Amino acid sequence: MADEVKHIIEPQFWVERYGDYLYNYAIVRVNDAEKAGDLVQDTFLAGLKARAKFQGRSSERTWLISILKRKIIDTYRKNSSSRESSMSEYQEDISDGDFYRDDDPFKGHWLEGKGPNSHSLMPEGELEQDELRQIIEKCISLLPPKLASVFIMKLIDEAESDEVCKELEITPSNLWVILHRARLKMRDCVESKWV
Amino acid sequence: MFRKMMYKMMVFMSKRMIACDEASFLISYRSEKKLGFKSWMQLNFHLLSCHLCRKYASQIDELNSAVDQYREVCSSETCHHHLPEDCKAEVNTIIVQELNAK
Repeated sequence: MADEVKHIIEPQFWVERYGDYLYNYAIVRVNDAEKAGDLVQDTFLAGLKARAKFQGRSSERTWLISILKRKIIDTYRKNSSSRESSMSEYQEDISDGDFYRDDDPFKGHWLEGKGPNSHSLMPEGELEQDELRQIIEKCISLLPPKLASVFIMKLIDEAESDEVCKELEITPSNLWVILHRARLKMRDCVESKWV
Repeated sequence: MFRKMMYKMMVFMSKRMIACDEASFLISYRSEKKLGFKSWMQLNFHLLSCHLCRKYASQIDELNSAVDQYREVCSSETCHHHLPEDCKAEVNTIIVQELNAK
């Protein structure tokens, strides 16, 4: 009666079945082809080692994705704790010399050319999806690693703020400042792609 | 009465004027969170007089929806990235070895 579907594990087919899927998942989140490839390999190997623990309650794919997710978060943590770019650098300070003036009495005003230039960020009319994807991908890849981690985790992965803060060991006010900075840079980058 | 109120409000606001850096921070912040009354007033007062930040606000809206669109497109297999063949072969070899070892 209660014939629950029991998923079986077949590592010999993993690469063929899930290789591209996991790779897509990873590349969107780490924005680096080589790193994404490594993560997928690591995921398969970790899954292989832990295959005795696979209980068949979820599908293989879901199980592998959960391993990959963990590994992606680990790379975010590495990004955010690397010494040259520690999160504390982004304390509560929203001023950014690359974008705003620092001279009185214009402190905090847009630097010339660093504010928005064109009226619209995107060209008029229907935008090719592929074009959009390439631009967003390119601009994310140009963000400093730490900004990219927060930006992706919060806006692409849609993680809750609490979770982002916990995983990356930042305070909520850090989070909003980092997101603001990431948007500053993203806007600048996307706009410059169309001019 | 009305003029007096307006005057009081101007004085109130001028002491709390924000510059573009804070305004743009609030513009980003309001993408996720609701602004408090004070911040809301400060931002909208700033936007009244600053055409650059008005542009910035509408561009951030565009950026947000572009990112939403990007997420939709790339949340599945439709992104069309392929795991490089050599990468596949390498990990396949390891898997087969491991399975045979048992």
